[in-house]
Amino acid sequence: MKPTLTRSAALIVTLLVACSSMLAHHGNVAYDEQHPTTIAGNVTEFVWSNPHCQIYLDVKNEKGDIVAWSVESQSPGILKRNGWTRDSIKPGDHITVTLVPAKSGAPVGFSGEKSGKVVFDDGHVLKMDLR
Amino acid sequence: MKMQSRRVTLTLRFAVMLAIACAISSPARGQEKAKDAAAPAPKRDISGVWLYQGSGGAESTAPEKDMPPMTPWAQARFDPERPGYGSRAVPGGNDPILQCDPAGFPRIMFFPTPFEFVQTPAKIIQFFEREHEWRPIWIDGRSLPKDPDPTWYGYAIGHWEGDYTLVVESAGFNDKTWLGATGYPHSEDMRVTERYQRVDRNTILYNIRVDDPKAYTKPIIGPERTMKLRPGVEIGELPCVWSEENSFTKRIREPAVGKPNR
Repeated sequence: MKPTLTRSAALIVTLLVACSSMLAHHGNVAYDEQHPTTIAGNVTEFVWSNPHCQIYLDVKNEKGDIVAWSVESQSPGILKRNGWTRDSIKPGDHITVTLVPAKSGAPVGFSGEKSGKVVFDDGHVLKMDLR
Repeated sequence: MKMQSRRVTLTLRFAVMLAIACAISSPARGQEKAKDAAAPAPKRDISGVWLYQGSGGAESTAPEKDMPPMTPWAQARFDPERPGYGSRAVPGGNDPILQCDPAGFPRIMFFPTPFEFVQTPAKIIQFFEREHEWRPIWIDGRSLPKDPDPTWYGYAIGHWEGDYTLVVESAGFNDKTWLGATGYPHSEDMRVTERYQRVDRNTILYNIRVDDPKAYTKPIIGPERTMKLRPGVEIGELPCVWSEENSFTKRIREPAVGKPNR
C-alpha cells in the first residue's frame, strides 16, 4: 500500500512540476515558480516584440512608494493566438498581473505560464496559456 | 454455492450502477472524449499546422536521466556550458540561442511553438514559427549526401513506411548547437532518425533517435512525444533579432538576476 501511495504522490508532484514548467524559453531559473503572486498598477509601456512581450508598470508598495515593475510575457505569436493584439494593453491602463517573481527580489516577473494573466479594472481578462 | 453466486450478482449490479452513475455525473468528460475521437488520418499526407504537446522550452532531445554516457570529446565540451535549464541551470548562462544563434536541429523540435508541414511530390517542407525557419525533407527517393557540408539544420530525406508513418533521416549538421536547453553537445557526425506516425487525423506520435558515436557511447533515444493538429492556426513570426534580443536582455533578463537596468 505504502509504495503505491508514494508512487502516486511522486506522480502528482511530477505532473505539477511539468505544468509549472510551461515557461519562458530562455531559462526559468531566475524566477520563483513556487510562489506566484499578483501586482496591480498603472501601465507605463507595453512592448509587442520578440522574444517576449513586455509590460512595464508602476506599482505602489506597502510603504506607499511607487516601484517600477518589468514583466515579461510570451511571444507575440503565442499572445496573438490567445486573442491579444499590440493594442491590448496601453499606457495608463490600471491592471492586475499574476506572475512569478524574480528570485533576486528585483521588481521583475514572468507572466506567461498557465497561471499567468492580466485582469483589467472592468473585469476583462487576458490569458496566455494557449500555444 | 447459492450464497456465493448471490454475492457475485450483487457485486456485478453494484459495478453496473457505479458505471452508470459515473457516466451521468461526468457529461463533460464524455463530450471531451467524443471530441477527441478523431477521424482517420489521410493516407501519406502529413500536411497541416502541428503543435508539440511539450512542457515548455526546458525540453531537450531526451531527459537528462536518459542521456547515455558521453565520450571524453563531448564531456570536454559539456563541462564549461552553463545552461538555463536542468540540473546545472544558472541564471543568464551561455546558451548559444541567447546570442541569436539558431537553435538548430533537433532542438527546434522541442519548443512550444507550432510548425507547418507543406507537402509536394518531391519534398515535404517543415516551416517553424520559432526562428521563422524551414527545413526541406526530400521524399523523391534520393539518398543522403556522402559527405555533406555542415549546416545548422542538416540535410534530410524521408520515406513512407506504410501509409501513416513518415521516417526521416538527416545528417550534415555543424557542431555549434546544443541538443536542447540542458546544454548537451553533439558532433558533426550526428545522424538523426525521426518517425512521425500519424495515428489519427489530429495526432502524430513522434519518436527520435540520435546516433553520434563521436559524442555518446550509445544512441540517444527520445521519449515518445505527441503532436496535435491545430486547424485554423496560422504560424506566426518568431525570428531572433539581435536588437530585440539585446533590448530584452538589458531590460528584463539582467534586472531579473539583480543586475541594474541599463
